[in-house]
Amino acid sequence: METLTLAWRNVWRNRRRTLITIVAMSFSLMLVQAFHNLSFGVYAQMVDSGVRSGSGHIAIYRGDYVNSRDDRLFWNLKKMGVLEQRIAQLNGIKAVLPRLYLPGLAQSSRESRGIMLTGIDPVAENAINPLLKNINAPALIKTLDGRDALVGSRLLTELKLKIGNKFVVTTQGPEGQLVSELLRIRGVVKSGIREVDNSLVMVGRQRAAAMTGQPEAIHELAIILDNPDLEKKLIPLISELLPAGSDLKAVSWEQSMANLANAIKLDYASQKFIFLIIVLIVTIGVVNTLLMSVMERIREFGVILAIGATPGRLRATVMTEAFLLGSVSMLFGNILGALATWYLVEIGIDLRDFIPETMEFGGVVFNPVMRAAWDTAYMLQISLYVLLLSVVASLYPAAKAARIAPAVAMRHH
Amino acid sequence: MSLISLNNLSKTYPLGSQKIAAVQGLTLEIQAGEFAVLAGPSGSGKTTVLNIVGALDTPTEGSVNVDGNDYSEMNPKELADFRLRRIGFIFQSYNLIPVLTAAENAEFTLMLQGMSTLKRRKIISGIFGELGIEGLEDRRPNDLSGGQQQRVAIARAIAPQPAVVLADEPTANLDSSTAEDLLQLMRRLNQEKGTTFLFSSHDPLVIAHAERVISLRDGRLESDIQQEAG
Ligand SMILES: Nc1ncnc2c1ncn2[C@@H]1O[C@H](COP(=O)(O)OP(=O)(O)O)[C@@H](O)[C@H]1O
Ligand SMILES: [Mg+2]
Repeated sequence: METLTLAWRNVWRNRRRTLITIVAMSFSLMLVQAFHNLSFGVYAQMVDSGVRSGSGHIAIYRGDYVNSRDDRLFWNLKKMGVLEQRIAQLNGIKAVLPRLYLPGLAQSSRESRGIMLTGIDPVAENAINPLLKNINAPALIKTLDGRDALVGSRLLTELKLKIGNKFVVTTQGPEGQLVSELLRIRGVVKSGIREVDNSLVMVGRQRAAAMTGQPEAIHELAIILDNPDLEKKLIPLISELLPAGSDLKAVSWEQSMANLANAIKLDYASQKFIFLIIVLIVTIGVVNTLLMSVMERIREFGVILAIGATPGRLRATVMTEAFLLGSVSMLFGNILGALATWYLVEIGIDLRDFIPETMEFGGVVFNPVMRAAWDTAYMLQISLYVLLLSVVASLYPAAKAARIAPAVAMRHH
Repeated sequence: MSLISLNNLSKTYPLGSQKIAAVQGLTLEIQAGEFAVLAGPSGSGKTTVLNIVGALDTPTEGSVNVDGNDYSEMNPKELADFRLRRIGFIFQSYNLIPVLTAAENAEFTLMLQGMSTLKRRKIISGIFGELGIEGLEDRRPNDLSGGQQQRVAIARAIAPQPAVVLADEPTANLDSSTAEDLLQLMRRLNQEKGTTFLFSSHDPLVIAHAERVISLRDGRLESDIQQEAG
């Protein structure tokens, strides 16, 4: 009959009130865990597709290219020795993708449009880049210096061209002169991202680089990792491989794709606000429950004080009751949260009936079948938070119990 | 020296802008081993006096000395510890903890003293035998009659072997034959173990069982009579 047993029995004195409180707490814990895990999964999926089509988990740029996008800041991949291979040999690297970006103009016999000429390494890119995922093998680029090009779907219609047609791309050369190349349309990229569909022209990187006068020129080395969590660890390792005095820098995706990073931050911030409100409402409920249970026992507490218990002991009793209430809720909340997450991981939420198949979010395609991912560290953290909160919620009711004057309490009916 | 000595005790309660004098200038000595009752109509100050003697309330004026301890020189923690070890309380009714069994209720003061489970079980089972409630150890208060509940309360009060047991209208909610049994039981404890009892009551039955009747009226001592206990 020590404090814990006594508190446990007290918790179950008003079975219905306790059950309602536990259900409310567990349910809130489940909601927060499940929605967090859903966002966690969706964000991870977007980051994954974002880094594959964009600039990798880690990108290597020359100078301030990440901010200025100054196309004169290209660099010679071969002059850096076997940099590409040495990076690829690090643990946790999935792919290393060299790219060249040249803004320019595409002209068909009838129309002209502004474009972004993107030079790639087709062998590395075809396996990784989600923009190329839905294109059949014969419609892909094969060589570094061929004239075959992939173009954005919208660009294709606006130039009034068809697959197999030829067109001319013009950009500024190294001395400011105009340089043109004749390309042939091999395939079409239909991504749902406006910028890509409107202006992408993708060719082998050496064909594009020829226009700069340096056939090995690239702007970006996009590095895809096996696991996004390795980013922090790998940035310094990759930085060490960059030749001294080369003006090259390794940059995280949060910097190189600030749009996506900010969109996720903003989305999660609004969610956190809702979590906060849920937690606040639950806390008020817990305070109310504990306060009611103290007020109902004023006379009893008076008797306990009269026969020699200290106020501290009453305070401890009330806080232990809150701790037990929190622990039981934490247990059930975690079971429910795990079940909900399991459902959201396995089945997910299918929004295809409500939103277009290709909706853009922060510059990447939002997958309308949302799937959660397990963030167990967060689940544990939020559970402990709920436990802590119920103990904090008990401070006022416990203080109230400790302030009872026995002589007054026992006249209380 | 007396076990309890009250010297010129007064207690006033503020009531709005007025003051209610619950006890006025009470001087009283009670010796160890007495079986005394504070008698008087409702509102005469009986509960107030018991609360002050039991260190649950402080007098507005006057001094209290119980078992050689002057309350005015003790801090709240010392007073709580004094209540725990030296004073036994029995209240009118509903003074058991409903979620504890009869034995756990009776043990409660011993548990607060930090006594081991084994030791207190032994003490309580002895007391339950003496009080004729053996076999009820595992019942909850709700499953006990009023008389049985008061016996458990007596067990809890006498378990720490206090200097005095204070009982505020202990028979008020009992029928007269149950009240009679309970009074005889307490009288026996008083005679066999020498436990000092101080009751409050306006029940003639209780008054008839007392050796000494201290009558209060409007917070003042009206009479203090030694009598042959019935
Ligand atoms: N906390 C209090 N506040 C104001 N008046 C009180 C308080 N407690 C008791 N009284 C008053 O003090 C007087 C004595 O009360 P009490 O000691 O309970 O008498 P008894 O126990 O003999 O019925 C009564 O008039 C009562 O109303
Ligand atoms: Mg009274």
